[in-house]
Amino acid sequence: MEKRLIKKDALAGIAKKMAEEFLVWAPIKKEDNVLFEPLQKDGEPFFAYLNSKNAPKNVFFPHTEALMKFTRTEKGMVFSSDENKADSSVLFGVRPCDAHSFALLDKLFDQEKYQDAYYITKRQNTTVISIACVKPPYASCFCTSVDGAPVASEGADILLTDIGSDYLVELVTPKGEKLAKYFGDAKADAAADTKKNEIAAKAIEAIKSKIPAHEVKPILDKNFDNPFWNTIHGKCLACGTCTYMCPTCHCFDISDEVKGGDGVRIRSWDSCMFPMFTKETSGHNPRVSQKERWRQRTMHKFKYYVDNFNAIACVGCGRCVMSCPVNIDIRKVVEDISKL
Amino acid sequence: MQNPYIPYPVVVDKIITEVDTKDIKTFRFKFVNPEDEAKYAYIPGQFGELSIYGKGESPIGIASSPTQKGYVEFTVQKAGVVTQALHEMEEGTLMGLRGPLGNSWPLEFLEGKNIVIVGGGFAFTTLRSLINYMIFGDNRKRFGNITVIYGARNPGLLLYKDELIEWQKRSDLNINVTVDKGDATWTGREGFVPAVCKDVAPSKENAVAVICGPPVMIRFTLPVFFDLGFSKENIITSLEMRMKCGIGKCGRCNVGSKYVCKDGPVFSLAELDKLTPEY
Repeated sequence: MEKRLIKKDALAGIAKKMAEEFLVWAPIKKEDNVLFEPLQKDGEPFFAYLNSKNAPKNVFFPHTEALMKFTRTEKGMVFSSDENKADSSVLFGVRPCDAHSFALLDKLFDQEKYQDAYYITKRQNTTVISIACVKPPYASCFCTSVDGAPVASEGADILLTDIGSDYLVELVTPKGEKLAKYFGDAKADAAADTKKNEIAAKAIEAIKSKIPAHEVKPILDKNFDNPFWNTIHGKCLACGTCTYMCPTCHCFDISDEVKGGDGVRIRSWDSCMFPMFTKETSGHNPRVSQKERWRQRTMHKFKYYVDNFNAIACVGCGRCVMSCPVNIDIRKVVEDISKL
Repeated sequence: MQNPYIPYPVVVDKIITEVDTKDIKTFRFKFVNPEDEAKYAYIPGQFGELSIYGKGESPIGIASSPTQKGYVEFTVQKAGVVTQALHEMEEGTLMGLRGPLGNSWPLEFLEGKNIVIVGGGFAFTTLRSLINYMIFGDNRKRFGNITVIYGARNPGLLLYKDELIEWQKRSDLNINVTVDKGDATWTGREGFVPAVCKDVAPSKENAVAVICGPPVMIRFTLPVFFDLGFSKENIITSLEMRMKCGIGKCGRCNVGSKYVCKDGPVFSLAELDKLTPEY
């Protein structure tokens, strides 16, 4: 693997240089939040951030996106265009947990049968650059419990690690290597590697929040009807914030919009927390209350995804923990399940 | 990469009103591009997404058999936004069709066995596909005895009335049509489907029961088949759930780890027993 060293203050300049050629999604400070947004000509990336308020999944799986367009004819509405397209782009500076989420979403959207054209096109045309967490950004970070690490490259094409005076640049994939020219000529030596490994080990130790994410799988296999499921949802507002903030939540709705003679079929994020999500035309709803919806969300992450893809659908970013307006904590839910 | 969200363009070729209440119609579609018909190669038990631009999509079981060439049929009850729009359509209208989606009736498993088909009400559509497939030409030799038990609330609600008459003429089919309550002209059987199953009492020997119907019918029919000695491996059914994508991505039709759209809709009772009872 090709490795380089760059000066720490060079990062913003590199992002801007790339933005002359590609669409660059970078962390942008907006009031009190940092969000991944396209870097504008006069814009300034903000790399001194902990993590972005929202998960960067919207780069590959937008909150709302057009699937196709259609138009009115004398014989009815007919298809007019496939809206699947994506410009060559760079997602610059995501945290390793969020890069990990892309590897997890790939398992679902890029299956052998039924490939999701819209997600895959964006994913193929985007190079992901991660910045390692030398220190855990938040006390609620628990990536090490869900097969992640603060210094890890899974899901990323390039990994940047702050090793003191410099960033160590690891061009992890062929897609990452194609951007080598932006990272100067300074080859990294063995000392830089050693330093990075020390930092990585310390960073793992610094993650204090731990959950028994693997241990609960066999318990979930047997406890669909456990009365425990009555104890989580009492205060849940069904606002769906946890699912919208989650880097791995991928449920969506498809709907049509018509204006005059033309229309568009769009997909938009949906949430298993919403009563309408599974409500059928007949009025029947297999997940009749918030209890069943919470069970679904928990099971989907820690059992169903494991059954189907041999991976837990959680990256330990802690966004749901920090954003829940009534302080329901998935870490406590998992902890409680482990004691059943 | 084939984009699975883009429907094939189809034209509404023929509309048949199936029931007296006029709220169930069979729609026959022809592909606008003839080459799409081969791409839409399906097996009985699969479903499609009927796509009406501007209204949305609705997942509906395929009612025709792949042995019927040149078109594909869906029998649809008027219920929500999409199906209402469909019911208002005229022959000649253009729309879209996605699929075929889902698994299918397990034809290989059914081959060489005696087949008992049990259908109730409007859930007879993919069973009709299966029957027409099994009795078509040389296909008939690949299956043993075929017994059909089909019921509706009243004679006016029976689907495929002309076909039922044709099937009853065949000596290689045992057709039992029943209605909950007959009318002045009804000369056939009266009684609920479970009772008729008990009465017909199909043998469990080398037999598979394929059962589709409203939940209440299923609930009372299954014990009859258990009493007859059918194992859970040899009772097959098809599930319905709210769906959007139809390809296991949008996340709403799962029963446990299985997606009804992609891993189903067809399951044996033995398979369903392993899933969570959330449907």
